[in-house]
Amino acid sequence: MTEYLVRRLFQSVLVLFLISILTFAMIHAAPGGPTQVFLAPGLSPEAAKVQAHNLGLDRPVLVQYSIWLGHLVTGDLGYTFKNHIPVGDILWPTVKNTMVLMGAAWLFSLLIAIPWGIYNSTSQYGFSDQTSSFVSYIGFAMPTFWFGIILQEYFSLKHDWLPLSDMYTMGKEGNMGDLFMHLILPVSVLTLGFLASYTKYAKASMLEVLGQDYIRTARAKGLREGRVIFRHALRNALIPIITILGLDLPILVGGAALTERVFNWPGMGRLFVDMAVAREYSVLMSITLVVSVIVVVGNLVADILYAIVDPRVQLGSKGGAAR
Amino acid sequence: MSKRFRVLSCLSVIALVGVILSGCGGSDNNSSSNNGTSNSSANSNTTSNSSNSSTTNTATTDDSTTTNDTATPDPNAPVEGGTLTVGTFSDIVSVNPIYINDTSSGDIENLINARLYDVDRNANLAVEPWSIAAELPQISADGKTYTVKLKNTVKWNDGQPLNADDVLFTYNTVRNPDAGAPGISAFDKIDSITKIDDYTVEFKLKQVYAPFQYSLYSSLVPAHVLKDVPVKELSKNAYGVDPTKTVTSGPWKFSEWKQGQYITLETNPNYWGDVKPHLGKIIYKIYADQNTEVQALIKGDIQMSEAIPVTSMDAVKANDKLSTILAPGPQYEYVQFNFKDENFPDKVSPFKGQKTRQAIAYALNRQGMVDNVLKGTGKLMNSPFLPGSWADPGDQAVNYAFDPEKAKSLLAEDGWVAGKDGILAKDGHRFSFELQYNAGNSRREQVAAIIQQNLKDVGIEVTPKGIDFATWIDQNITPGKFPAILLSWSLSNPDPDAESIFSSKYFPPAGQNGGWYKNESIDALWTKGQLTTDQSARADVYHQIGKEISTDLPYVFLYQYGLPQVVDQSTLHWADADKPESSLGYGYLFHAINWWSDKK
Repeated sequence: MTEYLVRRLFQSVLVLFLISILTFAMIHAAPGGPTQVFLAPGLSPEAAKVQAHNLGLDRPVLVQYSIWLGHLVTGDLGYTFKNHIPVGDILWPTVKNTMVLMGAAWLFSLLIAIPWGIYNSTSQYGFSDQTSSFVSYIGFAMPTFWFGIILQEYFSLKHDWLPLSDMYTMGKEGNMGDLFMHLILPVSVLTLGFLASYTKYAKASMLEVLGQDYIRTARAKGLREGRVIFRHALRNALIPIITILGLDLPILVGGAALTERVFNWPGMGRLFVDMAVAREYSVLMSITLVVSVIVVVGNLVADILYAIVDPRVQLGSKGGAAR
Repeated sequence: MSKRFRVLSCLSVIALVGVILSGCGGSDNNSSSNNGTSNSSANSNTTSNSSNSSTTNTATTDDSTTTNDTATPDPNAPVEGGTLTVGTFSDIVSVNPIYINDTSSGDIENLINARLYDVDRNANLAVEPWSIAAELPQISADGKTYTVKLKNTVKWNDGQPLNADDVLFTYNTVRNPDAGAPGISAFDKIDSITKIDDYTVEFKLKQVYAPFQYSLYSSLVPAHVLKDVPVKELSKNAYGVDPTKTVTSGPWKFSEWKQGQYITLETNPNYWGDVKPHLGKIIYKIYADQNTEVQALIKGDIQMSEAIPVTSMDAVKANDKLSTILAPGPQYEYVQFNFKDENFPDKVSPFKGQKTRQAIAYALNRQGMVDNVLKGTGKLMNSPFLPGSWADPGDQAVNYAFDPEKAKSLLAEDGWVAGKDGILAKDGHRFSFELQYNAGNSRREQVAAIIQQNLKDVGIEVTPKGIDFATWIDQNITPGKFPAILLSWSLSNPDPDAESIFSSKYFPPAGQNGGWYKNESIDALWTKGQLTTDQSARADVYHQIGKEISTDLPYVFLYQYGLPQVVDQSTLHWADADKPESSLGYGYLFHAINWWSDKK
């Protein structure tokens, strides 16, 4: 196990390093640099050069990359070009805000989707199963921002039940009750999106397991249905679901940009869009890196979870996780 | 993702294309042209009031003190200490006036700083009770020396006096290329700045340069805070970014900035002016999505938006408490032709014939664009001077009414003959060109489509092409490498001088004449306009320019436009003399010091 972990960690660092090179190269290959975006068109070419030099933008890309990497190793994410604010000051609050929103939506959708999927697997084509299919179609088909606007119109404008947007009411920062009220609408929107796929996966995975010989054996032994489902089937059925969740992590972290926009949630997705327009290289690099770290760690955790839910998976000397 | 970038980049255009140009916004003609909007009445009254606004303001303050004692509040009397919440679409960068280059930062900077001089509703340089200067500048007989006298009561919000040292420090820093200030070009005519005494400063110019007066319409930075910062490091200084280090001189102070979320301003306890602000707190809330911002207006989360999309106007109009201010702002849109042959696939610019350019102007249905795309928030332009301003040539500029038949005959006179495919050709070159605009700007997308259709009707093939804003500026606009563009100028400086975009002295990369247009007669007129400080003599020059440029057409001037400003007038109030003035840069905050709000 330890040897496996060490090797995976080493691989992860390598992957992150490669990602950073790739994104750095791509960001710099895009036409139009930060100076075009934030220097006035009226600025004389000489003054523009002075500014570019002050910011280190006139150096070769490779040199800029080495400097950036050097700072990163010491934990320094750099500064924004246009107003020289430490990237961490801008980035970490948005990472936290996105985690709050996405974590809530994710947890909520799993809490609904897994039990619902299990129930549907035991009573296929019943009313509940049909409803879930219907909800899935809606969830897949409806653009999230549009659903968000509908919810805002009804719950916030027509009836003054819930706040329209933002994370807190002005002046109530840090108030949990206020945060909860602000979470309801965006979490509902995101949950509908997740629910669609997770219920389907849970049901399909359960159905596959329920058809296995060992389930029939368990039933033949005369075990109660509840014990068969939860003890024998569920643990096995969870494995593919964990895989899906691991793969979904980047969507969780980055994919909320539209929902964040509609609900004016001060998260990472919004920040990324703003910073890409402004060509703030150091912020873009840091966001990419944060997302990459989350994905790499998430996959690692998923692999470790396999071992916990599925005793057949042995991590270690025999070539890593069984997939 | 890329689609979302474009949506946002369209928003940033308004802020970023703001190149210092000219044009003075007289309110009279501007707002009266927009009938059916709420705030367009009583222009002449306002104009006369604003010249002696100091008396008006004192009167207002007196009212408010009496109201505080009375038991039943008079609904027309200002409420002290209320909160104004404003919605905006992008975050600030820095409120250091030396580096302001976007409207969001400019909004905040305008509220937290006093300026040396202000402008009145007609964009004349003015001394207001909240201006730092004590009287209008004295201009020497040769027009080269401006003497500025300061009030001796002005203080920074840390209690330090504001004096001539601050004026010298600010202007000398902006002039220093090492500082990298975006406004540097406005100051390159200054020869020397001298401190006569603590409250008198003398500016000596290298030559007579009439637009200089508006260089005095400017905020100052505190020398006592920044004088020891190396000038190359100034743009990285916390001044303008960290509220605790941003010492300012205006009625409000910068008290909190939550990045990406909101900016809070509070009354400056050390404010020195005789007229004090009524609003105790101003909050700028940032909305990533304009639809959400409009909903927040309807719900009452915010009381004002400086600009909403025209597409949201119906939703806003349906709400009784919201009123819309529709007068177009100090900006105009145009189609620019390129005269340089190498910018075309077959190495010949099709725009060289004057009749050809005039034909294009006749072929475009500009009024249709104003009615259908701008939904009435625009006004036709025939010259680079804002309609109603003192430089506006009026009828002397040629107005090209929509007339496709006239366009066809002019094209025929200029030697264009229809080919087999119906597209005109001359000397073996088809009349086909690419019209560039920034992708994601829905107004330009729609207008480009109309241009394509209008010109197709007279036998010209147009291919509209949307390009990412930053890429476009970098690869096409700055180097002057494009066939034709659809873009706009923001006239943030009220002076009509526009030499740097029309004169052949200003070809790229040194200037902004990216279409490589050259007309010696007009070149000479721009210079002439700078060489006299007499406004009526200058007006004659600009009328002449308007006449010649509208005949020769380096651009087709399309329309002056604006975005609707929306105000919740059930909670935000002002006297008529203090209402917003759309024709000025930052005019939506005009006289905000006299506004009041019922919200706490």
